[in-house]
Amino acid sequence: MSVLPTSSSQTAFYNNPQIRSVIYQVILTLALGYFFYLIVSNTLANMQSRGIQSGFAFLDSTAGFDILMSLIPYDATYTYGRTFLVGILNTILVSTISIVLATIVGFIIGVSFFSQNWLIRTLARIYVETFRNIPLLLQIFFWYFAVLSSLPGARQSLSIGEVIFLNVRGLYLPDLIAEAAAGYVYAAMAFAIVGVWLVKRWAKKRQDLTGQQFPVFPVSLAMLIVIPVLALVLTDMPFQWEFPVLRGFNYSGGITVIPELIALAISLTIYTGAFIGEAVRAGVQSVPHGQTEAARSIGLKERQIMKLIIVPQAMRVITPILNSEYQSLVKNSTLATAIGYPDLFTVFVGTTLNQTGQAIEIVFMTMAVYLLFNMIISVVMNLFNRKVALVSR
Amino acid sequence: MRTFQPSPSKPAPLMSVGVLAWFKNNLFSSVPNTLATIFIMIILANVLPGFFDWLLFSANWSGETQDDCVKDGACWVFINAWSKQFFYGSYPSEQLWRVNLCLIMLLLTVLGSFFVNKDLREKLFVPLFLALPFISILLLNGSWIGLEPVTTDYWGGFSLNIFLAAASIIVAFPMGFLWALGRRSQMPIARSVSIILIEFFRGVPVLALFFMGSVMLPLFFPEGTNVDKLLRVWIVLTLFMSGYMAEVFRGGFNAIPQGQYEAADALGLGYWQKTMLIILPQVIKISMPNILATFVMLFKNTSFLMIIGIFEILSTTQAALSNSYWLGGHAEEGYLFVAAVFWMVCFGMSMIASSIERKLNTSHKN
Repeated sequence: MSVLPTSSSQTAFYNNPQIRSVIYQVILTLALGYFFYLIVSNTLANMQSRGIQSGFAFLDSTAGFDILMSLIPYDATYTYGRTFLVGILNTILVSTISIVLATIVGFIIGVSFFSQNWLIRTLARIYVETFRNIPLLLQIFFWYFAVLSSLPGARQSLSIGEVIFLNVRGLYLPDLIAEAAAGYVYAAMAFAIVGVWLVKRWAKKRQDLTGQQFPVFPVSLAMLIVIPVLALVLTDMPFQWEFPVLRGFNYSGGITVIPELIALAISLTIYTGAFIGEAVRAGVQSVPHGQTEAARSIGLKERQIMKLIIVPQAMRVITPILNSEYQSLVKNSTLATAIGYPDLFTVFVGTTLNQTGQAIEIVFMTMAVYLLFNMIISVVMNLFNRKVALVSR
Repeated sequence: MRTFQPSPSKPAPLMSVGVLAWFKNNLFSSVPNTLATIFIMIILANVLPGFFDWLLFSANWSGETQDDCVKDGACWVFINAWSKQFFYGSYPSEQLWRVNLCLIMLLLTVLGSFFVNKDLREKLFVPLFLALPFISILLLNGSWIGLEPVTTDYWGGFSLNIFLAAASIIVAFPMGFLWALGRRSQMPIARSVSIILIEFFRGVPVLALFFMGSVMLPLFFPEGTNVDKLLRVWIVLTLFMSGYMAEVFRGGFNAIPQGQYEAADALGLGYWQKTMLIILPQVIKISMPNILATFVMLFKNTSFLMIIGIFEILSTTQAALSNSYWLGGHAEEGYLFVAAVFWMVCFGMSMIASSIERKLNTSHKN
C-alpha cells in the first residue's frame, strides 16, 4: 500500500533554496580556504628553499642604479623606495599628457564624423578604423624604432626658430625660469580665473531674471589675457627664458624631452584618440534628431544647438566610455617597459625586482598603485558623470 | 478641340543631382569647406604618391637576400624570406601540417557552428569547442600521441597569437559567465568573491598579470613542479579575459527584462534550468557585439607577450630585424606587415560585430 505525502512542505531539506545556498557557500569558502592555504604554504616553502626574505626592508636599501629620467632629485645613491616614487611620477606624467592630448584628438575626430565635407568625414573614419585595430605595442615600436630613431643627430637637429630643437636624442624646449616677483603674476592669474567664474555666474543669473544676454566669452577671454599681462608689466617681467644651446655633442639647458617619452605619448594619444573619437561619434549620434529640430523651431542658432542641446545629451553617453578609456590608457602605459621609458613598471617591476628578487612585494605594490589610479579616475569621472547625467525633476 | 500638350520635361538642374551636385554638396558647400578640401588635397597630393611609390612601384618584390633589394622602395624580400617564421615561429618545417590542421579545425568549428541546426550545435559543436584547446595541445606537442615531440619553445609566430587568443576565450567564456552569475547572486560570499575577482583582473594592467604569471606563479606551485611558460600565459590570459567577459555578460543580464525571470519562475523552472534555457541564450544574443569587441582587445593584447619572451609574431619580427644578414633597416616593412596582418583580423571581426549590432538594432532611426 502506497503512502501519499501528507503535505507539500515535506520536501527534502537539500531542496530548500535557503539551506542550499548556505551549503553552496560553505563549500565555496572551504574550497577557497584550501586553495589559499595551498598557495601560501607552497610559496613559503619555495621562498625558504630559494633563500628569499619576505618583508619591505629592501625599500630602505640603496638602489645603486641610474634612472633615465626623473621628476624629483634622484641618483644611484637613493633608496629602492625612492625608485618606486620616481616610477609613479613618471607614470603620472606620461598618463596625464596622453589623456589630455587623446581627449583633444578624440573630440576633433568625433566631431569630424559629422562634417559637411566628405574628405574630412572619410579621413576620420580611416583614422579610427586604422589605429584602433593595430596593437598598441606595434604602434609604440613604429614610432620609437622606425620614426624617432631615423631623426638626424645633434648637429643636424631640426629646429623651429632656433628655439625648439628635435634630434635623435630627444626634443629640446626652452625653459621658463621664474624670479621672486613671479608670485604676483600667479596671483593675478588666479584672480582672473575667479573673476571669470563670478562674471559667468552673474551673467546667468541676469539672463534667468531678465532674459538679457551678456557676451560672456569675449569678456572672459579679455580678463584672462589682460589681468596677467598687466601684472607682468607692473612687476617688470619676472621671468627669463632659458634656451637649449648646442655644447659639444649635445644640447644643454632648457627642458629635455627624451624620445622614449615622445614615442609613448604619441602612440598612446593616437591609439586612445581613435577610441575616444568613436565614443564621441556614438554619443552625438545617440541624440535623437527631433532634439535638433525642436531646437531649430524655437529659434536657436546652429552653434547654440550644438552647445546647449547636443553636447550635454551626448556627454551622458560619452562620459562612461571616457572613464574606461582613461583607465585603459593608464594600464597601457605599462608598455613603456618595451622601449625603456622609466615608468613605474620599467623601474620597479623591471630593475628593482631584478636586483632585489622581492617578487611578491613588488608585484603587489605595483598592482595596488594601478588599482588606485583606476579608482581615482573612476571617482573623478563619476563625479563628472553626476554633473552631466539626466536630472529628472 | 484643343488637346493638352505637355511641354517636354526639362533635365534636372545640373547642380542638384548627379556627380556635380555630389561634389558641390560634399566638398564645396561653403567657403570654409572649399578651403578645407583644397588644403587636404594639397597634403594628400604631396604625401600619397611618395608613399605608394615606396610601397608598390619602386618596391623590391623578388629575391632571396638583402642584396636583392636594389631599388629604393620597400624591401618586401625581407617579409618573403621570413614569412615562415612570422607565421609558424621555429616549429619544425616537416611538422607544419599539425599547426595547419589545428587552424583548420578551429576554422571549421567556428564556421560549422553558424550553419548547423540548434540540436547539433548544442550536442556536438559546444563540446567540440571546449575540447579544441586540449586536442590542439595534444597535436602540437605530439609526445603523448606518438608524434615527434615539439616542445613549446618551438611554438611561435602568428599561429601562436591565434591559438592563445582562441584557447583563452574558449575557457573564459564559461568562466566569465560563472563570475557574472556570481556577481548577481543572492549569496553574499559568492557575490563578494566574484566582485573581487572581476575587479582585480580588470583593474590591473595585463602586463603586470603576465609578470605575476612569470615571476610569482612558479612560487605558488609545490616545489619542483616546472610549469610550462605557455601554460602560465594561458592561465593568465584566461583569468584576465574572464574578468572582461563577466562585465560583458553583466551588461547582457541588465538588458533582459525582469518579466523573463518571472515567467521562468512561473513555469516552475529551477535556477539552472532558468539560467541555461531562458537567460543564457538571450544574454549571448544581446552581448555578441561586445563579446567580439572584447575578443579583438584580447587578440591585440597577445602581442604584449613579446615583453615576457614569448615568440609571437611581434617578437619574431624584432628578432628578424636584428638578424645580422638583414641589418639594412627594414623596420618600416616589418612593422607595416605585422600591422596589416593584425588589422585584417581585427577589422574583420569588428565588421562582423557591427553587422550583428545593426541586425539587432530594431529601434526606429533618427
